[in-house]
Amino acid sequence: MSEMKITILCCHYTNQATAEDFAGIPAKIEVKRYPCSGKIEVADILRALEDDAEGVLVAGCEKSSCHNRSGSQRAEKRTAAAQKILEEIGMEPERVQMAFVPRLETGVLVEATKRLFETLLDLKSKEGTSS
Amino acid sequence: MIIAERKPISRILAMIEPYERVAVLGCRGCVAICSAGGDREVEIVSAALRLARKRAGRPLTVVEETLVRQCDPEYLTGLEELAKKVDAVVSLACGVGVNFIADRFPELRIYPGVDTSFYGANPALGEWEEKCRGCGDCILDFTGGLCPIARCAKNLLNGPCGGSQDGKCEIRPEVPCVWHQIYERLKARGELERMMKLFPAKDWRPAGHDGPRVRTREDLKVGN
Ligand code: SF4
Ligand code: SF4
Repeated sequence: MSEMKITILCCHYTNQATAEDFAGIPAKIEVKRYPCSGKIEVADILRALEDDAEGVLVAGCEKSSCHNRSGSQRAEKRTAAAQKILEEIGMEPERVQMAFVPRLETGVLVEATKRLFETLLDLKSKEGTSS
Repeated sequence: MIIAERKPISRILAMIEPYERVAVLGCRGCVAICSAGGDREVEIVSAALRLARKRAGRPLTVVEETLVRQCDPEYLTGLEELAKKVDAVVSLACGVGVNFIADRFPELRIYPGVDTSFYGANPALGEWEEKCRGCGDCILDFTGGLCPIARCAKNLLNGPCGGSQDGKCEIRPEVPCVWHQIYERLKARGELERMMKLFPAKDWRPAGHDGPRVRTREDLKVGN
């Protein structure tokens, strides 16, 4: 079975996590950083899935401490818009998740990635039983 | 401006089901301003279509393009070339753009990617409200600038109806009764006598009930 791929789209300020931090998650983790999470577009999320990610984590600053004030709130709404499109095309919306992460707290980001990984594993096992 | 809304992706997928190569064609006019069919929406719709088809095991090639306007021939010149590259076009312009291209390029299969809904204003970010229905014979001079045709659920010309309650419309109570608003406004201006003008049955031909409308301005035409 080929390794599952997860793409994290996040702002520069959110984290500086490295491959080592994600070593405990048995998946290929790709991190794409943006100047601000408010710059992450719905199309970026969809393209990540198109590029074979099975799930996408959008990560931005905590709402109260966003470096660019409301960037992460925008990211949250775009995440919801991407989830709606997934529903429209018959994909599980939970493949895309939003995480609010305290600045530079890698642990919280890794935890959120782990949760997404578990959700994806769950979806995979359901796929297996339904087909 | 003309307000439109993206169609569900599943609906667009059904339209282009037989094809392998399509263009998603945006418009930088009204639909870009109301965030339904500009460059950004072209990217979203294209990515969604590709993703869905990839998962269905029938990959789709999408050409992404946005024209300045789809309702003006001078911006359509590149379409002939585009038509050679794709099996079909999904237009994110309003129905005017889709019709205009369909008129001019009979061979091109063009499909609507948005639902065109109304003429509206943009009171706040992310909100659009209907204000006019293009009736072709404007009566706003009698109604304090508020349109009863577009803003009254019954399009009444002599309102309000008996269902107007506390300034709200009986059809959708969250909507203000425009005839109530017209009354309040004219009263404040000391112009209530305007309410006494009885509108006779309206001639709806200028509104389009006489077939498609055209407008001409001889002084702008080229040649005879
Ligand atoms: S094609 Fe429609 S949306 Fe585009 S500019 Fe013309 S009227 Fe507006
Ligand atoms: S009266 Fe007719 S032209 Fe005037 S705003 Fe209403 S619908 Fe538009």
